[in-house]
Amino acid sequence: MGPWSVRRIVVLVLRVALGGVWLYAAYTKLRQPWLLFAMSIDAYHLLPEWAVLTVARILPWTELVIGILLVGGLLVRYASILGAAILAVFFGAMISAYSRGLAIDCGCFGPGDALSAWTLLRDGTLLTAALALAWLSWRSCHWVGQAVLPAPTPNQ
Amino acid sequence: MTSMRPLAAALALLLIVPAVAAGPSGNSTRAIGSPTAPITIELFSDFQCPHCKELHDETLPSLITDYVNTGKVYLVRHYFLLKFPYSRLSATYACAAERIGRYDQACDALYKTQQSWGQTGKVDEAVCSALSPADAKKVRELVKDPSVAMEIEKDTALGVSQNVKSTPTLIVVHNGKRTPIELAVSYPMLKRYLDGMLTH
Repeated sequence: MGPWSVRRIVVLVLRVALGGVWLYAAYTKLRQPWLLFAMSIDAYHLLPEWAVLTVARILPWTELVIGILLVGGLLVRYASILGAAILAVFFGAMISAYSRGLAIDCGCFGPGDALSAWTLLRDGTLLTAALALAWLSWRSCHWVGQAVLPAPTPNQ
Repeated sequence: MTSMRPLAAALALLLIVPAVAAGPSGNSTRAIGSPTAPITIELFSDFQCPHCKELHDETLPSLITDYVNTGKVYLVRHYFLLKFPYSRLSATYACAAERIGRYDQACDALYKTQQSWGQTGKVDEAVCSALSPADAKKVRELVKDPSVAMEIEKDTALGVSQNVKSTPTLIVVHNGKRTPIELAVSYPMLKRYLDGMLTH
């Protein structure tokens, strides 16, 4: 398989695009007081106060690290799995809040991003892309710029 | 000089009588607390909005007790009309009640029975049942006053100019910086936020 196969190109596009999304998400949260993001999380009425505060402090930095790893092509398999897992949790929370009729901010990209059918569609698409990247990145290791362990051979 | 006295008295009467007849000044109860407080919160809400009710019932009482009454926050409440069927009517009654200094009574009555009048449209009954017969009569008269409708439109336009798109929206003003909070924030979270601002 040549270095620029279709799958490699798809992975490259996905990781750079998703990496950019994670970096933007981190930026929108880190540029404002962290308590405003905590309010968005609290509005979902899913977590106790201590968990809301913990997530609000840690999550933006996690998003930043995932974004840097994906855009830089470093530890892509692990960053993509972590990203997909976080997005799956987000999406589940959004579905829960939407089904309960909560008129709240999505919290995905800072304040003013109201939870709606559009944000569900958007984040559902991102989750699909993240799952695709995680799946594709675990199937091989010889990507341009990637530093990972070799993937298991068919006989192992 | 002696001949000027009747004229002066007449002029004074012309100025004083309308003011007395109008009752308390328009914003005397919508804005509460000290205007010199370090933090100002401008609250845009709609009486038929369920999340505004949530904020009114669960967050505002503690905010008023702990921050407004202690001089830390100046709270200014604005009308902001959404597209609920009785947004305008409920705001009109609240504004009319405000003209006679009964804003809080009207506000509390509207939010307490929101689910009921939200379905039936019986806003008059919801508000006037919480007032004395004399006050209810004054409110019913003031509801027809065009200046009441103008005041509500002016408040909504103010919200639009500040990019308010939904309710409740709290715009927290501190040290010249305006920060919008576009949800029915819980009191514990709001308390943390305000305490953080007050200590910095």
